[in-house]
Amino acid sequence: MTAQEVRLCGLLLQEHFGEVVAKVGTHLLKSGAQNLRTIIHETGISLDLVKKSLCVLVQHGTCVFSSGRKAPGSPTEYRTSCDRILRILRYPRYIYTAKTLYGDTGELIIEELLQRGDMTMSSTVKTVADRLTQNMEEGRSMDYSEVSSAFSKLVETHFLQRSTPATPAIPGTPAAPVSTAPPTPESFPDCYRVPHVTLIGRGKRRLSNEDGEDQRNAKKTKMDSETHGDEGIYWQVNFERFHLHFRDQAIISAVANKLDQTSSEIVRTMLRMSEVTTSPTATCTKPLSANEIFRSLPSSYNIPRPILDQYLTLLVDDPMEFVGKAGESGGGMYVVNLHKALANLARATLESVVQERFGSRSARIFRLLLRKRHLEQKQVEDFAMIPAKEAKDMLYTLLSQNLVQLQEIPKTPDYAPSRTFYLYTVNQLPTARMLLQNCYKTVANLIERRLFESKESKNKRTFSTGDIIESSFWSVGVTILTIVLFPCRLDSAENQVDETIFLLESYVNSTATS
Amino acid sequence: QTAGWVQCEELCQQFPHGITDQVIQNDMPHLEPQQRAMAINKLLSLGQLDLLRNSSGLLYRMKDMQSTSKMKGSDNQEKLVYQIIEDAGNKGIWSRDIRFKSNLPLTEINKILKNLESKKLIKAVKSVAASKKKVYMLYNLQPDRSVTGGAWYSDQDFESEFVEVLNQQCFKFLQSKAEAARDSKQSPMVQRNSSFATSHEVWKYICELGISKVDLSMDDIETILNTLIYDGKVEMTVIAAKEGTVGSVDGQMKLYRGVNPVIQPTGVVRTPCGLCPVFEDCHEGGEISPSNCIYMTEWLDF
Repeated sequence: MTAQEVRLCGLLLQEHFGEVVAKVGTHLLKSGAQNLRTIIHETGISLDLVKKSLCVLVQHGTCVFSSGRKAPGSPTEYRTSCDRILRILRYPRYIYTAKTLYGDTGELIIEELLQRGDMTMSSTVKTVADRLTQNMEEGRSMDYSEVSSAFSKLVETHFLQRSTPATPAIPGTPAAPVSTAPPTPESFPDCYRVPHVTLIGRGKRRLSNEDGEDQRNAKKTKMDSETHGDEGIYWQVNFERFHLHFRDQAIISAVANKLDQTSSEIVRTMLRMSEVTTSPTATCTKPLSANEIFRSLPSSYNIPRPILDQYLTLLVDDPMEFVGKAGESGGGMYVVNLHKALANLARATLESVVQERFGSRSARIFRLLLRKRHLEQKQVEDFAMIPAKEAKDMLYTLLSQNLVQLQEIPKTPDYAPSRTFYLYTVNQLPTARMLLQNCYKTVANLIERRLFESKESKNKRTFSTGDIIESSFWSVGVTILTIVLFPCRLDSAENQVDETIFLLESYVNSTATS
Repeated sequence: QTAGWVQCEELCQQFPHGITDQVIQNDMPHLEPQQRAMAINKLLSLGQLDLLRNSSGLLYRMKDMQSTSKMKGSDNQEKLVYQIIEDAGNKGIWSRDIRFKSNLPLTEINKILKNLESKKLIKAVKSVAASKKKVYMLYNLQPDRSVTGGAWYSDQDFESEFVEVLNQQCFKFLQSKAEAARDSKQSPMVQRNSSFATSHEVWKYICELGISKVDLSMDDIETILNTLIYDGKVEMTVIAAKEGTVGSVDGQMKLYRGVNPVIQPTGVVRTPCGLCPVFEDCHEGGEISPSNCIYMTEWLDF
C-alpha cells in the first residue's frame, strides 16, 4: 500500500461516494483494521455518518469486517484494501466488455450491479427491464425473461457470482483466528448456480416528469413489495473473470500485431477452449491437441489441416513464445504460455515508455541491456553503435530515472574505482513495479485536473442569457469546451492509463504466483 | 682480427634471416668471445647489421640494402629510432615507448621524429583509443584497425550519420523483403522463410548500393543488423549451413527479417504525465501541480 495508491483510492472514493466516505475509507487504508469507536475518534466524523460510510463501503465489497482480534467478544473491526478500490477505475471497461459480449442488456446488468455493489437477481432484472423499456419506442417494453436469460448467461460464464453470505458476528462467540482469510465467493459450491426465480412481467416505463433522483428512490421502495424466491441471494460482479478476459484480449491482439490475423484467431480459439479448464493463476493453458483445435476453429476460417499445423509451428517458433508445444500425441499438443506472454507484454510496455520519453537511441540502449543483462559502458557504446559521449549521457539519464541500475563488481576487496567493474543492467520486475506506481500517480493527477477544471467551469457555468448574448461566440465556445470536452479528454486518458495499469498489474501478480 | 668482422658479415649475408652468437662461434671457433663482440659492434656501427632478440637470445641480421641507402645522411641515432618504428609494424609505436627502447632523451627523440617526418620516412597516426595519443609508423604502411577504429571511424570521429544511413538502408531492405513475402499469399511457412535474408544477402545489397566509401565486411554489416535488433525492428535466427555455402561461417548462417511491434505505444505515454520531465516534483498544492500544470494546459488545447 503505497502513498500513491492511497491518494488514488481517496480520489476514486470521493468521486463515487462523496467526501465523507472518502475520508473514512482513506483513514482505514492508512490505519489498518480498526473498530467503530476508534474510527470515530480518529476521524472526528459523527457516529451516524461513519456508520453510513461503512455501510456503503461494505455494500460495495471494499470493506470487510470481522470479530475483534484482541479478545473474544471485542468489537467488530473493519478493514479496507487498495486493490478493490482501485477496481473502480476499471468500471467503464467492465461495462463496455459486457456490452460487446451480451449487448445492451448485459451492459445495463453490469452497470447496475457496479453501482449498487450487490443485488438480488430479481431486483436486477426488474430494474434493467425498466431502464431498457425507457429507451424503447412508445408502446414497446422489455420482457423480464429476456433480461433473466442474459443474467443467467453472465452467471454461466462466471462474469457474475454470488456474494459471500454474511455471517453476522454474534457477541459472545469466540472470535475466529485472524489468520484465516475471509472466505472467497468461490469457496461456496453454489457460487455460480442461478436460483429458481419466478419473474413474469415486463419493464415499466416511468412517467416523463420524474428525473433521475426519483428513479433511485423508486428503486429502493420497489425492492420490498414482491418476493420471487431468491431472497437473500445477492450477486456481485466477478472482477477476476473480467480480468482473465482482458488478459486473453491482450494476448490475442499482440499475436495479431506481431504475426497475422489468422494466427490470432487460432490463439483466440485455444484460449476460448481453455476458459473453464485453466485456473486463474496457471502459467499456461492445459494442452490442447491440434485435432481438437482444428475442430473448434470458427467455421468462417476455412484453413486446411496441414496449414493449421504450419501456423501452429510458426507460433511455437516465434521468439515471443506465445504458444508452446507440450507433446506429440493427437497431431501435436499445444499450450498458450500465459505468464510468458504477460512478461513479454510488460517488457514491450517498458520499452515503449523509454522510447516515447527519451527517444529511440535510449530505447536501443534499454533493449540492449534487457537482452544482454550486464554490460560495461564501453560494450554498450560498441553494441549500440552510439558515440561515447552521447551514450554516456543517455545511460546517466536512464540511471537517474532508475530505469537502469549499476552493478559493481570489485576486483579487489577495497572497491577501488579503478579496479572495479561497473556493469549496467535492467531488472524488469522492479522497473515494472516502479512504472506501475507512476501510472497510479498519473491517474490521480488526471482526476485532480478534471476536478479542478469542473470547479473552474462551475464558476463560469452560472451565466444568464444576457451574458451569452453579450459575450463573444468564441468565449462561449471555450466555456463549453471546458465543461464538456476537457473532462471527456481527461476521462478517456484515465482509461488509457488504466490499460497500462492492467498489463503491469497482471505481470506483477503473475510473478508472485509462478 | 679484421677478418673477424668480414667473416661475420659474410655469415650474415649467407643467412639473411639472421644468425645467433652460437652460429658465429661454430663457424669461427678460434675467435674469443671478446673478439666476437668487437666484430659485431663494428658491423653495427657501420650500420650493416640489425640487432634483434628472439626467444633463444640475440640475433644478428644483415640490413636490407635499400633501407641502408635511404639512411645515408642520417646519423646513428636516427637509424636506431627508425629501426624501432619499423619493428612496430602497422600498429605503430608511441613516442614514450620509443624513448624506453632507445634510451635516448626526449628532446633528441622529438628532434629525430620531426626530421624523419619531414623526410617522409615515417608518419603520425592518431589512435582512436586515446585521442591525444599519437603513434608513429612507417610512411607507406596502412594503419591497423585497432588504431583507426575500423570502418566506423574516419579521422578519429565516429561516423554517426553513416551508421544511421546504413541502419535505415538495411531495415528498408528487410522490410520490403518481408512485405513481398506477405503479398505472395503462399503458405505461412513459405511466407515466413522467404521473408528472411542472410547477412550475406544484406551485405551484397549494401555493397551494390555503393553508399559506402570504405569497404565493409560481412561482420560490419552484422553489427549494423544487431543494432536493428536492439531497435526492436528485426529478429535473427541461426541455421546450420553446409560448409561452402555462400555466406556461411563455421557451418552456420545468420538470418534476419523485419518484424512488427507487438503493442502500440502504451496508454500512459499518451498523457502529459507519462512524458513529463518534472514528474517527481509534482504534487497537489505544490508549485508544480496537476491544477496548474502547463503541459496539461497545452495538451488540452490540442
